Amino acid sequence: METEAAQLIGKGLATFSMFGSGIGEGYLIGKALEAMGRNPDMQGTIFTNMIIGVALAESTAIYAFVAFFII
Amino acid sequence: MNFKDLFFIQRDIPALDPDILFTFGPFAFASSTLLILGITLLFVFFVFVATLSFKTRPGSFQVAVESIYEGIVGLIDQITNNTNRSQKIFPVIGAMLVYLAIANLIGLIPGIESLTFNDTPLFKTPTADFNTTFGLALGAIIVINGISIMEWGPFGFAGRFVPLHKIYYGFKKGIGAGFMSIIDLLLGLLDIIGELAKIISLSLRLFGNMYAGQVLSVILLGAFAYIIPSIWLAMNLFVGILQAMVFASLVAAYYMLAINPAKNNS
Repeated sequence: METEAAQLIGKGLATFSMFGSGIGEGYLIGKALEAMGRNPDMQGTIFTNMIIGVALAESTAIYAFVAFFII
Repeated sequence: MNFKDLFFIQRDIPALDPDILFTFGPFAFASSTLLILGITLLFVFFVFVATLSFKTRPGSFQVAVESIYEGIVGLIDQITNNTNRSQKIFPVIGAMLVYLAIANLIGLIPGIESLTFNDTPLFKTPTADFNTTFGLALGAIIVINGISIMEWGPFGFAGRFVPLHKIYYGFKKGIGAGFMSIIDLLLGLLDIIGELAKIISLSLRLFGNMYAGQVLSVILLGAFAYIIPSIWLAMNLFVGILQAMVFASLVAAYYMLAINPAKNNS
């Protein structure tokens, strides 16, 4: 196989991590909304924690993005 | 420099390695370093202005500064659950948060990244350079381990990573507990790797987000030029503040783990 072809396949495979990150973020936001619905008084705290959690979940996709450009 | 360059439509995707402006002896002076120095000078100036102008009866400027302080202490409070501890760690985490927020956002000033010197960009978002984020994360982890040593004493600190005393007490209790303590020893050794992984994950997260933001804005500006890039640039404002907050709150969480691991084990 030529090097360039292998490189392109590798780049394609790196994007697969976004799959898991999307599922994780959706689950996290869904659960946070559920908690807000149950206890609207805690909305502010839950929202900041949710945002931090989303950023953490997103970092997996970001690692893949960095790998994508390094390949 | 023409009008097209000012709004950086159609540019090359920024390189991963820093752009070296000039070398000074063994030290290479990168374009991100220039902005870091600029931000530091800005901070020194700001501190002079703030300390000279603060009064018992606050004006609007003082109220703004104090509300930022209150907000950051409140953010740390959510993690530490103890106002005394938050105020103790505030100088480290608050400085990082404000610095990162400014460093993430300064690249969004229109035209600032189009100024060139000897064909290399003069200014570059500091956090889109891996050296900056790695240095910050390394510093944060070293400071946290230093606090941990102060809190636990040198032997207590070493005992967290190489728990030899647990083996002694475990075998005193019985054979079963003794073998369990050997597992504890191996887990303690894994914590050393965990400490290194914290540095890597902290720095890669921030770097990746900022670099991804730049690459995507270059791609979008090359493809659409109007309207859609503006949405992404506005999103970048949000991401910049958010990543600064995430960095700060993770450092606060690591601080809590470092001073209070017993709570984590039980």
